[in-house]
Amino acid sequence: MTTRRALLAQLPAAAVAANLALRARHVLAADKSVTVGIDVPLTGSDAENAILIKNGAMIAVDDANASGGVAGYHIDVMVLDDGTTTAGQYDPAQAAINARKFVSDPNVVAAIGPEMSGCGKAMAPILSQGNLATITPSSTNPDITDPKFAPQFRPAGKAIYFRTVTTDAYQGPDMANYFAQTLKVQKIYILDDGGAYGVGMANAFEEQAKRDGLTVLGHDQLDPREADYTTILTKIKAIGPEALYYGGTSLAGIKLVKQSYEVLPQIIKAGGDGVYSAALVKGAGFPAMEGWYATIAAPYIAENPDVAPWIERYRAKFGQGPTSYSFTAYDGMLVILDAIKRVADAGQPVNHDTVRDAIQSANLKTLQGTVSFDENGDIKNRIVSVFQCHQNEKYPVDDVLHQFKYLGVAPEIT
Amino acid sequence: MAEKDLTERPLGMLGASYAWIRGASPIQWIAPHMRSPASIGFLVAAALLFPIISRNDANIDSMANALSYAALALGLNIVVGFAGLLDLGYAAFFAIGAYTYGAFASYQIEPAWSGFWEPFQWLDLVARVHDPGGDLVHFQVSFWLMLPVSAAVAAFFGVLFGAPTLRLKGDYLAIVTLGFGEIVPIVARNWPSVTNGAMGLNGVAAPQLFGWSFGIGATPYYYVGVALVALLIFTSLRLKSSRIGRAWMAIREDEIAAAAMGVNRVKFKLLAFAIGAGFAGATGTFFVAKLQTATPEMFMFPVSVMILVMIVFGGIGSVWGVVLGAMILQVLQSWILEDLSQWLHALGRLIHIHWLQQVELAQSIELIFGLILVTMMLYRREGLIPATRRVQGLTLAQQTAHVGSGGSAGNPDRLAALLAPDRVPDGPLLDISGLTVRFGGLVALRQVALTVPAGSVVAVIGPNGSGKSTLFNAMTGLVPADEGTLRFAGGNIARLPPHAVLERGIARTFQNLRLFPSLTVLENVMIGMHARLATGAVGALLRLPGTRREEEAARERAMAILEIFGNRLVPRAEHTVASLSYANRRRVEIARALASQPKLLLLDEPTAGMNPAETIELAGQIKGLHQLGLAILLIEHKLDVVVNLAQNVVVLDHGEKIAEGTPDVVRRDEEVIRAYLGRSASVGSAAIA
Amino acid sequence: MMNEYTVLLQQVINGLSLGAMYSLLALGFTLVYGILELINFAHFNVFMVASFIGMWALEALGISGQSVILTGLPLVGALVFAFIVTMTLAGVLGVVIERLALRPMRGVRGTAAMITTIGVGYILFNIILLAVGADSKNYPNPMPNVDWDLGGATLRLREVLIWTIAVVLMVGLHLFVTRTRLGKAMRATAQDAEAARMMGIDVDRVIVTAFFLGSALAGAAALIFGLYYNYTSFIIGYSAGLRAFTAAVLGGIGSVAGAMLGGVIIGLIESLGGQLLAVRWTDVIIFSILVLVLVFAPSGLLGRAAPNKS
Repeated sequence: MTTRRALLAQLPAAAVAANLALRARHVLAADKSVTVGIDVPLTGSDAENAILIKNGAMIAVDDANASGGVAGYHIDVMVLDDGTTTAGQYDPAQAAINARKFVSDPNVVAAIGPEMSGCGKAMAPILSQGNLATITPSSTNPDITDPKFAPQFRPAGKAIYFRTVTTDAYQGPDMANYFAQTLKVQKIYILDDGGAYGVGMANAFEEQAKRDGLTVLGHDQLDPREADYTTILTKIKAIGPEALYYGGTSLAGIKLVKQSYEVLPQIIKAGGDGVYSAALVKGAGFPAMEGWYATIAAPYIAENPDVAPWIERYRAKFGQGPTSYSFTAYDGMLVILDAIKRVADAGQPVNHDTVRDAIQSANLKTLQGTVSFDENGDIKNRIVSVFQCHQNEKYPVDDVLHQFKYLGVAPEIT
Repeated sequence: MAEKDLTERPLGMLGASYAWIRGASPIQWIAPHMRSPASIGFLVAAALLFPIISRNDANIDSMANALSYAALALGLNIVVGFAGLLDLGYAAFFAIGAYTYGAFASYQIEPAWSGFWEPFQWLDLVARVHDPGGDLVHFQVSFWLMLPVSAAVAAFFGVLFGAPTLRLKGDYLAIVTLGFGEIVPIVARNWPSVTNGAMGLNGVAAPQLFGWSFGIGATPYYYVGVALVALLIFTSLRLKSSRIGRAWMAIREDEIAAAAMGVNRVKFKLLAFAIGAGFAGATGTFFVAKLQTATPEMFMFPVSVMILVMIVFGGIGSVWGVVLGAMILQVLQSWILEDLSQWLHALGRLIHIHWLQQVELAQSIELIFGLILVTMMLYRREGLIPATRRVQGLTLAQQTAHVGSGGSAGNPDRLAALLAPDRVPDGPLLDISGLTVRFGGLVALRQVALTVPAGSVVAVIGPNGSGKSTLFNAMTGLVPADEGTLRFAGGNIARLPPHAVLERGIARTFQNLRLFPSLTVLENVMIGMHARLATGAVGALLRLPGTRREEEAARERAMAILEIFGNRLVPRAEHTVASLSYANRRRVEIARALASQPKLLLLDEPTAGMNPAETIELAGQIKGLHQLGLAILLIEHKLDVVVNLAQNVVVLDHGEKIAEGTPDVVRRDEEVIRAYLGRSASVGSAAIA
Repeated sequence: MMNEYTVLLQQVINGLSLGAMYSLLALGFTLVYGILELINFAHFNVFMVASFIGMWALEALGISGQSVILTGLPLVGALVFAFIVTMTLAGVLGVVIERLALRPMRGVRGTAAMITTIGVGYILFNIILLAVGADSKNYPNPMPNVDWDLGGATLRLREVLIWTIAVVLMVGLHLFVTRTRLGKAMRATAQDAEAARMMGIDVDRVIVTAFFLGSALAGAAALIFGLYYNYTSFIIGYSAGLRAFTAAVLGGIGSVAGAMLGGVIIGLIESLGGQLLAVRWTDVIIFSILVLVLVFAPSGLLGRAAPNKS
């Protein structure tokens, strides 16, 4: 009993010593460094996209560090997981803890993330209190940057929730305009996947569709855990709309695409940026995916000549193709790095306050074009791009850039 | 209170680690009677000083979450641990508490302004908000007010969801609660006007104290969490050691026996659901006030399972155990595994192993939960800190003591005061006529008539299967009577539930012993007194002088009743009945029945399984009870006991009364002999003593 | 174009296919409950694991995705192979679970055994999640895409497959339970384990058989699931499990015929309920049926009266 107890007593001491040793080595390595946080749900059903975001951001960091850092500062990255297995996906409570970790670490000057708006709602007040800016590449719920909710989400007043993607207030409605004006459909049926993002998209789409004079024949909800959607698809088939709009992610999306191919092969099918997803295309496959419309809340980037080599590098480095969030994450990180550089060049100390101000005044050319933010933190460029999925056998099936054909910009809402 | 003293328990590896963590060595420096206060003092100091020591906002937030889960674990412990009702949908009450606060403290619900709201505005519960479309009402009810209000709302739903489960057995009850647990988040998702649906609440208000808003920093919330958990621990402990707690544990151990001893099962099960749900409702309010948002996904089945794992791990039924279990698992999840993963990443970078850098231990927390559930159930069902206390060994003197039959001979006046029935009516005490009980096609009792005069002993005999126990069951409401009248002490007892029959003054023992196995002898006996005590939940909580006096008096009475059986039970008063010998368990059952101050005592084969010496002893004790004025209805097979004790004997065969009279008359009766032996008297009369 | 009758016909076809799957799952569940009076939460994750086993079995034959189509004898051969492998391994998994986690719990009062099955279910669920990830996997399916038109409604080959296999298995189970010695032993044990033991029946063996058969049926249901929906993922146990469980309870827990009947009813409720109301309420409807049956009619449609454990 004494020996066992003595051994047990030594364990914590050993752990502490090892911990300190590792940290010490790390601290000695760099002269000057700053830390950028990355908060994504690496656990649960959103893990796919989380990794793609992280990878996109990491390319920018690795590029910067490889060329000697930014204004002499080495960029460290603190990746925190805001998904928990109990929630099975993103968890706002965990995101709140992560935000506190960022804020209380003096080395952290800015962050990328979160992926999901539910986490954003929990993080925003904390970030505002700590005056730490975060740039989200994919959180599209408009409430967080809505001035109406400013007392709740940014109690300290300044914008801290920046986006390199435009919100659901535009993506869904612009697509409704596209339906009305370009596709000229009249009768539609709407489905969502019950999640925060999907419901937001579908509802915004529905409101605008009605304003555009379209007939919404119904709006029902899929359960992502359920396997069989033939019931609702059969019902839709009997009702006979010309088009189907889906707000949601690939969890329900894959099954929907597959099963609607069998039950409703002829009608027009569309979705938001949840459809423009490598996981969805890979999971549903062709011919089921053929013809699906998708939108992304960003300008079309493939026209940018820098993009193709970037994709090559991404694929070489991570073994899989990027998706739209990878670009927006990369862009966000570029903005942060640029902000750090401008602060350092101006002779100011590099901390979260100065970096936030620099981000606010950003005007930077990135993969998606010029990025700048309005006073709420939203990206000024509100372009929504429309794509259609056509099988391109020359490229791997999860290469969204090549499996989706760019059709143009969706008509903006007035 | 001996829960905390673990140093002498047989310890496995887990227990040894725990003892070490708890500072087994330092604790031995403190004198035994100071150990409990010292431990509590240490814990309180640690809890209060933690934010000052840690200074890390994220860690403090983590601990605040851990405290929330500890509070939830305490609530579920009341339902599952105390009352034995497996609730698999507990997260529903957490959700109800959260959304109730959210409804009244956010911008979610904004009805149009009208004069109706003015008094509320004056009370500062709502504010008038200007809006281009017409003024609106903004709810801003204070967090401190909402804590008890949400608890009450959740308690209401606890009763609502619990009511359908009252008659279900354990696993069906679990499934129904699981069903409700699933329905609540679905409703939350599909009721956007109140909950903002899947997108989650926006801007739930932070608590305010004297005009100062809590804001974002985790520290004030942490202290509120500590206060909440302390309050809930206090409540749990007070309830556990009160009449309420005993009633719950009786229900958990043996529901039928509990009812037969006067516990109103419906009332207490619903009370357990209500209080358990109330805990969760208050915690939901706290959690959401801290997070300032809520989404339906935060309240689904995995959360219910997580709380269950916490209490299984910590020790079902043990208040400190479940708190410890919750804290350990939550800290493991959000802190230790995270840090361990970062440490492994650093190690991976150091020694250039790629997969180490990718490992995320936090992702396997649910796998760990599953493993904990299975291993705890298989190997240590009582959890880290078991709820049942350890048994103090008997001293050598006690073990080798002469058996003194004590009791009646010792202090007849005192016993008379304890047990003698207060008011004895004229006429027969018990009057049954035409009693018929059918089980499907089988007629168990047919037109049975029976009277027991006040203060007499009547024996019921008959071959096996003649319906004797069914008679008792019909009398005590455990089995419905199809026909017949049952009158007792001038009142009708025909359709009464078992606990009401006990209240009227009939107490029984069971043929196959129905004690409460993991409770002590003393607790078993005190449950017998349940119907004669008056302490309710509030009284148990506050422990006013009246309640304390009642408890002490009850304890004394229980000990006095145990003394009837000499030194057989008294030294074993704090032992669990499962550890007693068979004969002693029979005695405890009788003691328990006596504790309810019955007018009529129903003994179902009280001497079954006893050897001749024990039989004689018990018969003597029963006679003593009779001499105090108790009426006794006795089922017995041992005819010498019957002859010794009974004034009147009723013989049943195949559900019918075939003979009645004094013992001498009955045992010579032709019918009786034929019933027992299958042949007529002339052939086998010598067989009966 | 579909008129209101053909759409109902189509929904009935859909519902019967769903029902066939739920029946198979419910059967496995009810077999165990009939004998042990234990609600086995792990059953539905055995189903999920079995679907992956089936996937790997088919991939071992060289079939991947829906691109490799077989007909005639090779098709039958491939399917038979896959079914045998999946059902056997699923049965073995069930037996292993019984041996390691449930046998030590036999005789323990209360809900401890059920809690253990929750733990086992969690373990299976998370092992698969950690091993293969959260995304859906495309299921290898060699069946050709044949369908028949019934006046506007479509009947597909895979639906016929499901019904055929389900009926064959159910008839097989029925024959086993009524005609073989072991089957008779199972029925006897389900009625009174004590008496069965005293009549010389090896109750342990009966229990192992029940677990094996039940899990094998879940394996069949899992393979059918994969072939029908062309996908599998770590989460399929949840939703199918809930519905199969309700089916077993509705039909009468412990009754084989009840499980079959309950499965069909729940399948039809799901499809017709979705058609006539909205699919977003399906879960609520199913849960409500579960609660109502348990509270007001616990013996279900065909079951014996639920024995009172207390």
